[in-house]
Amino acid sequence: MKYLYEKDLRQMKYNILTSTRHDLAVKELARRLDVSDQKLRMILIRDFDMSLLENLQARYEMGLLHADRGDPIAGALGCEFFTRFIPLVEPGTMQAIYNDVRAAIAAGTPEVPAIDDGKAKIREAIKR
Amino acid sequence: MKKTVDVSIPLGPMHPCWKEPVRLKCETSGERVLRTEVELGYMKKGIERIMRGRPWQEVMFLAERVCGICSVVHNMVFIEAMEGISGIEVPPRAAYLRVVVNELDRIASHILANFSYCYTIEHETLAMYLLNVRETVLDNLERITGSRINTAYMIPGGVRFDISDEDKAALLADLAKVEADMKRYVSMFETGPLIALRSKGIGVMTRERAIEAHTVGPTARASGVPECDRRLRHPTYRQLGFEPISRTEGDNFARNMVRYQEVFQSIDLIRQCVDRLPEGGSIRGGGVCSAGEIVYQGEAPRGELTYSITSDEYGRIVDITIRTPSIMNIEACAHHMITDATSIADVTSTFISSDPCIACNER
Repeated sequence: MKYLYEKDLRQMKYNILTSTRHDLAVKELARRLDVSDQKLRMILIRDFDMSLLENLQARYEMGLLHADRGDPIAGALGCEFFTRFIPLVEPGTMQAIYNDVRAAIAAGTPEVPAIDDGKAKIREAIKR
Repeated sequence: MKKTVDVSIPLGPMHPCWKEPVRLKCETSGERVLRTEVELGYMKKGIERIMRGRPWQEVMFLAERVCGICSVVHNMVFIEAMEGISGIEVPPRAAYLRVVVNELDRIASHILANFSYCYTIEHETLAMYLLNVRETVLDNLERITGSRINTAYMIPGGVRFDISDEDKAALLADLAKVEADMKRYVSMFETGPLIALRSKGIGVMTRERAIEAHTVGPTARASGVPECDRRLRHPTYRQLGFEPISRTEGDNFARNMVRYQEVFQSIDLIRQCVDRLPEGGSIRGGGVCSAGEIVYQGEAPRGELTYSITSDEYGRIVDITIRTPSIMNIEACAHHMITDATSIADVTSTFISSDPCIACNER
């Protein structure tokens, strides 16, 4: 959607993401997703509005506390973490990835490569 | 199913209902709001950057300028954080006086928030009544601290002024008046049919969503998250037997009612402090702060306020990050209360019901 008097917010969004505690959260998230810090910043600037970016570090903390409890495969993929707490992936897409990983493990694929395959699909979904 | 956007409606940055500039971009389908984006950056102060490298004596005055509505709590949290770094003990009399001033500030902030809500739903009579009561509260802040807004009342190791017996008597008399007036106005709010139409069942946020978005303060407590109140962990409040107020409806009405009920709770806390005010010294001209690092949290009128501070051996601020409650509440409001839930007519009132403070957000 194009607005008549749209501002370019990229520099301001970048400033938010590179403040001390946000920067730490972005680096942790990038490590978890196995993408570069710069790439993740670009995705966050593209997909999130300014209030979500300001809130990112608090959401990251809440995600660590509350997301994906009890299911190790969902925890490894970050099913709740990357849909509800840091909403980078559509819930439907994440559910499909989770189902694929579960099906692969049930079919005899070892857990680690199946989860790695799921993570690769999450990266693709984020970079769309 | 893909949602089709009919019209995109930008609200703000200048809007008659909002005290400060912020733009909400609402994508709508008919009356329904499908998605909302928040655009900040119209008044960025860069105050954290200005604080770095300065001694605490300068930073304490900058801290209370983060917000013009709840400046006392910024002063309090910053000073208590510096005391935590430096191992400074506060005399009991000063601790009680801090609570008195902080609760007066909370009453003033809550009344202003509810004034804004009434004004937004066009109940201007009640709005003006509330603003009138707030003046009495600010007069008492001035009587105790010498200022109505930027008080700079707390200082490492104590407070800057003691309270006299005359001031105590005047404070208690004024509180009785405020309490009587507020009872009438809360009854008007609770029973008003216009208010019910514009508030009940509007902008609902569930407890689960409140936790997910890390919502804080009355906004979270109106959705049934009482444990978010940081006063539960404050030593002075624990002595006063503090219990947070919460409701479960999670709508605009509940958020306003929590703030009304907290006004009465604050009045009770102030009375307790004045009754039990210990004898002894409380006045300090300053303290010696040392090197260290701390993450300290307090309860501002809007919710949890976090100061992360690193200082050097001369008490200079090396690094500081301030996380204000509005950062969490504005995001929760835009993405959970407004998005996919309400009609376009209710966007402004729902936004105001979360008590947004753009000055805090753009610190």
